[in-house]
Amino acid sequence: MRVAIAEDSVLLREGLARLLTDAGFEVVARCGDAEALLRAVAALAPEVAVVDIRMPPTHTDEGLRAAVEIRAAFPRTGVLVLSQHVEPALAMTLFADSASGAGYLLKDRIAEVTDFTDALRRVAAGGTAVDPVIVSSLVARPRPDDPLGRLTPREREVLELMASGHSNQGIADRLVLTLRAVEKYVSSIFGKLGLPATGGESRRVLAVLLFLRR
Amino acid sequence: MFAAARRAYPAGIDGQKVPSRTLRVALASAAVAAAAMSLALARAADRLPQATLFVWILLAYVFCGLLAWTRRPGSAFGRLMVLVGFGAALSTLAWSSDPVLFTVGQALDLLVVVLFLHVFLAFPAGRLNGTARVLVLIAYGTSVGLQLTAMTLGAFGPGNLLRIVDAPTAATVVHAVELVTLSALLLAGVGLLAVRRKADNLPLRRSVRWLVDAFALGLVSLAVLLVMGVLSVPGFALVQAVTLGVLGLAPVAFLVGLLDARLARAALGELMVELRTAPGDLSPALARVLRDPTARLLYWLPQYRSWVDHDGAPAELPASATLIRRGGEPVAAIAHHPAVAAERDLLDAVVAAVEMVLDNGRLRAELKAGLAEVRGSRARVVEAGRRERRRLERDLHDGAQQRLVGLSLRLSLIEARLGGDPAAREAVAEARVEVATSLTELRDIARGLYPGVLSAHGLAVAVESVPAPVPLRLDVRLDGRLPEAVEVAAYYVVCESLTNVGRHAGASSAGVCLHSDGDRLVVEIEDDGVGGADTRLGSGLRGLADRVEALGGTLRVWSPAGGGTRVRAELPCG
Repeated sequence: MRVAIAEDSVLLREGLARLLTDAGFEVVARCGDAEALLRAVAALAPEVAVVDIRMPPTHTDEGLRAAVEIRAAFPRTGVLVLSQHVEPALAMTLFADSASGAGYLLKDRIAEVTDFTDALRRVAAGGTAVDPVIVSSLVARPRPDDPLGRLTPREREVLELMASGHSNQGIADRLVLTLRAVEKYVSSIFGKLGLPATGGESRRVLAVLLFLRR
Repeated sequence: MFAAARRAYPAGIDGQKVPSRTLRVALASAAVAAAAMSLALARAADRLPQATLFVWILLAYVFCGLLAWTRRPGSAFGRLMVLVGFGAALSTLAWSSDPVLFTVGQALDLLVVVLFLHVFLAFPAGRLNGTARVLVLIAYGTSVGLQLTAMTLGAFGPGNLLRIVDAPTAATVVHAVELVTLSALLLAGVGLLAVRRKADNLPLRRSVRWLVDAFALGLVSLAVLLVMGVLSVPGFALVQAVTLGVLGLAPVAFLVGLLDARLARAALGELMVELRTAPGDLSPALARVLRDPTARLLYWLPQYRSWVDHDGAPAELPASATLIRRGGEPVAAIAHHPAVAAERDLLDAVVAAVEMVLDNGRLRAELKAGLAEVRGSRARVVEAGRRERRRLERDLHDGAQQRLVGLSLRLSLIEARLGGDPAAREAVAEARVEVATSLTELRDIARGLYPGVLSAHGLAVAVESVPAPVPLRLDVRLDGRLPEAVEVAAYYVVCESLTNVGRHAGASSAGVCLHSDGDRLVVEIEDDGVGGADTRLGSGLRGLADRVEALGGTLRVWSPAGGGTRVRAELPCG
């Protein structure tokens, strides 16, 4: 699987490349800023790009803007944005129209190699990855008549994994459940939250995120 | 006090004394005697109608002049008018049959023409300067010099005692040149008056000036008369009568000018009352009394080495200003139009009046200037703090946080390469957990230092990420981005208020409202909790209020017992 990396810290960029190479990815571009990344994506059409949100020149949101641009111009390249901060609103900016082929993870997550490469593969395949810390901050939001209170603890677990972008099979693997059991939980959750049953797992992620953000 | 006011002017202005009663009586008697003499001479020469005009000019100028001299001793104008009166009488000596008187009268016959020019150009200060002075000096030289030259050449018939040679043609030419030159000088003087009036741009002062200017047309008529004398055209006597009539009425205009100044003094009385009862900004009252809309009072603040206005704002001292000194040091200044400087006595009185309330206004201006200084320094302190926090957050992000992520990454790589030694694997895994915890802590610290997301994405995005202790209604209506300092202040108001809601309010829900209308941002946080919070802006709120007020905004807190708490901040966005 071909990956482009955009990260201004050389230390992290090389570490990331090493980690991904070790995990069986082919790192086709190592960029220090957003412009280089955009050129690399245009030239090499990688399946996925890993982008640091703060890069030169202003160190504010170059990475996020490049990610939005890549998603619009090169829909076949997935984008995984890395950030030092928990900003649900920024994740939602990335998912504005669709959560397909997009991810937003805390930078810390790269050290958890399996989770990280899992997420990267999901995004490359057109799926979604949302950092669990962001999901739990959304879930923890106080709500007027707390609809989440009607969920069982297990259903809450399933909801958080759904919101993080895991497929039913992924949820089943993590919670050591059968696929059938996960499907039952999912339809029960949708029923309790009053969400319409949507097709496609990435549309499901967006629906859940939008619900949690309310 | 009045002595201090006197010191406000350069020394050396003489003749400020009111003429003594004896002097006034003597001058008045002399005028009456001169009038009687003129009439006697006229009767003998059969020139009574003409004499009436001269006598009228004599009496009008001398008596109006004495009045002006008495009322406005600071101005030389009164004395000048007296001089013009007697000057006019001198030319009537030419009607005498006595050769000496006749010669003197002829020699000074045209002096009165120049005196008229002088008096108009010198109104109202009584002094000439620049071009006007040159013009009048040339005119005096011409009227006496050429007249005497013509007389030595035998002009004006056999009674002329100054005749040296008998050259009637030359005498006629010299006299004609004299008349034409004086005529040209008169017209130049009228032109000068016109230019000067145009330069004066004081609408309130115009009325009196225009009256005087109207009489200055008499000078034009006089110029015409002189040329008629050269050409010997008929109608000379009629034009002479009209001209002298107009010029003879001019003292009335001058008197109205004097009365005008007295009206100003009446306004001065009002100024005194105003200054006592409402010690606010003195400038409008000054503008009224000086009839100068540009007039204003400035204060000198030695500690700032600067002139300030009533509001303590720094001001430029214009070239035309009257300084008020105390112990040699300036304490204040009345800035005014250059034309006002001519009314010395009025300015004197105004200065004296202002001095009485000066300390009050000066103290006020000083206080305001100090307050502006404090406000500015508070804003600078808050802004410096904001920049420093931002810098720290960035350093943290690019430094420690980045390194810890890198360390964590390396530990993962090491972990992957470790063989089957379970103890080593466990140690590395523990180290990774430590690093992950440090990263979480650092993230919280960084967020507390400066909301990094604010710089890039603005208030709306940043506020959405603020952890809410209770269900929150967000109502955000912002037109685009606001100045970063305003956004940061608003962000802290929201964070701190929500923290308080979580800690003290016992609320079940809260609302955050952010509205901007271009000019200002209104931030409101309210909850449905128990209320009764300490609204005296205690420690946490005090810090917020400092932030908000440093930007020129206001912060208010309402917290009635049992009625929830509402925090409202208004921030200017200009």
